[in-house]
Amino acid sequence: MAARHRYPAEVSEAIAIVSLSGVAVRAGAVPILRDVNLSVHPGEVVGIFGANGAGKTTLLRLVATMTRPSEGSGTVFGTDMNSPDRFEVRSRIGYIGHTPGWYPELTLAENMAFVAAAMGIDAAKVGSCLDAVGLAGAKDRRADRCSHGMQRRAEFARVLLTEPDLLLLDEPHSALDADAVDLVDGLVKRTVERGGAAVLVSHDHARVESLAHRILRIKEGTIT
Amino acid sequence: MTTAKPHSSSVWPWYAMAIAGIVTLVASFVAPPDALQGELSRILYVHVPAAWLAYVSFGVTMIASAAYLWKKDLKWDRIAAASAEIGVLFTGMTLVIGMIWAKSTWGVWWTWDARLTLTAIMFFVYLGYLALRRSTDDLEARAKRAAILGVLAVVQIPLVHFSVVLWRGLHQTPSLLKPASVDMDTPMVITLLVAVVMFSVMYVAMMVKLVELGKLEEQVILSELSSRTPVAGSAVTAPSLGGDA
Amino acid sequence: MSPTFLSQAMTVARRDVLRERRSGEVLWVTLPFGAVALLLIPIAISTDTLTLRRVGVGMFWVVVMLFGVLIAVRRTTADSTAQRDMVALTGMDPAAVFTGTALANFLLLLVFETVLGVLTVVLYDIDLSGAQWFPLILVLVAVGLALLGTIAAGIVATGRSTAALVPLIVAPMSVPLLIAATQSFEGLRLGKSILTWILMLAVIALVLAVAGVLSARPLQETG
Repeated sequence: MAARHRYPAEVSEAIAIVSLSGVAVRAGAVPILRDVNLSVHPGEVVGIFGANGAGKTTLLRLVATMTRPSEGSGTVFGTDMNSPDRFEVRSRIGYIGHTPGWYPELTLAENMAFVAAAMGIDAAKVGSCLDAVGLAGAKDRRADRCSHGMQRRAEFARVLLTEPDLLLLDEPHSALDADAVDLVDGLVKRTVERGGAAVLVSHDHARVESLAHRILRIKEGTIT
Repeated sequence: MTTAKPHSSSVWPWYAMAIAGIVTLVASFVAPPDALQGELSRILYVHVPAAWLAYVSFGVTMIASAAYLWKKDLKWDRIAAASAEIGVLFTGMTLVIGMIWAKSTWGVWWTWDARLTLTAIMFFVYLGYLALRRSTDDLEARAKRAAILGVLAVVQIPLVHFSVVLWRGLHQTPSLLKPASVDMDTPMVITLLVAVVMFSVMYVAMMVKLVELGKLEEQVILSELSSRTPVAGSAVTAPSLGGDA
Repeated sequence: MSPTFLSQAMTVARRDVLRERRSGEVLWVTLPFGAVALLLIPIAISTDTLTLRRVGVGMFWVVVMLFGVLIAVRRTTADSTAQRDMVALTGMDPAAVFTGTALANFLLLLVFETVLGVLTVVLYDIDLSGAQWFPLILVLVAVGLALLGTIAAGIVATGRSTAALVPLIVAPMSVPLLIAATQSFEGLRLGKSILTWILMLAVIALVLAVAGVLSARPLQETG
């Protein structure tokens, strides 16, 4: 494990946003994670490195409360990950996975408006968020007629819209052009400056190392 | 394949099943034939206990499903599943035997009697339950989804029952398959009681074996899948962050 | 900040109706499929007007039960994990999501029933006595079937072979709906009271609504 202690001093006193202790996850019957201990504090950016299939994505989904721990315990924003009320903390989490989850039949703006309505956010914000990620011209285009890159950009717009306190990014730098990469970095910094935290999973070590206060590695059950 | 750990395999259920089967058979043939239905009446000694146990099985499935949702212990899931399997078996048996009986007595394979219709519907409800169980290897997810369906059946089946009875009642169709209402003399009643008790013994024995089997199946799923896939993720350790866990 | 249960449910229902308007899945696929079934039956049974008049209502309801469930099942196989994640991460109450989904399914089923109902009247020369009760019966059956289908789709969710599994689970459980629906029409034809059947439809809807809302949270994780 390579730990980099560059986070501000007050972080260590703050209450953890994420706290996992002895967590194991099985997807189906397959063990994916075992004995995971992790805490993420406000103002912190944590980078996670690991080979394909090492369990990075499962770890992010676990933290996002989308996968439940099979063993061990964990909290996110102080809410137990097994609690039936865990859906209530999800609006504070921004998660960007490998594949964008837009509804193909709806336009980008309609997709965003759905998220806004579901979360009680003013729909007027949708346009400016899409503008900010360079999608001003594609707002009214159906998601299935947008390129993968545009759909990914729209996900960054969603993060701008929902302003999460915990940002979880799965391979955020893959398949992006240079200014979109800057966009990711901007989102991370913005979240942290507001007192939130970010967890990044990536192959792009240089990029993540420049952002993260702390690097963790997952690799087939071994510590590197 | 690796043997995970030695498992308990009880032998007595096999003997119990064999003895119960033999006793039922012998009792069925020792009992005097019915005055009206003759030798055919012997079929009742299988039909009635099978129908009775079908309902008991589904009742146990419902209770075990609710217990799983309450306790989140896979033990209850195994009991619910085993009981549903036996229930489907006995329901199928009841239907087939009932059809044979109906054909010999009334000349038709099927009558739209309320009880018969209900039994057929139950058969398909629990076939759906078993199909749902086969649709995933994720033990916890399977247990929870099956348990919710098991409980949903509790709220839906009384409605099915009530509607079917009301529906048949309107048409004043005589209830044909009501073996219990046939006038029976004492030896027949005793034989029937013996058969019901023996079938109950069979049910318990089958439950024990099926629950054992369910446990073994879970171990096979776990060991096969885990031996294929490297265990990942144990490398995430506690960050060295000011005395934090 | 956080929107009410009702507004969350309405958001979900609006989304589903909008998606249907764009994709036309129910209007241009499921509905024609049901209409074809109504055409096939007389070809197979008899084209005699008296026979058709006698079996028409029953055939209509069988087609509604068996094909209508496809409306509730249409999303379970199509929607990706990423799409489910997006909904989950809005932090909406799973019970509100269930309610909204069931509401959209109800509206689509009502359209489905109405169009096929008109077609049945035309093709099978149906007796229209007591027609003022038809809307109430259609609405109540649509509510019950939408709830049943939505619950079953939620239970099956991300497993294998979901496309056929939901109909298998729903079909035997839809028996009370089928009986109440057909017997209501039979009662209207004979000029008898149909109060019992209407009450039964209402009770089914109530029981299923409670069951659906209660099971939504335990089923919330997306896989």
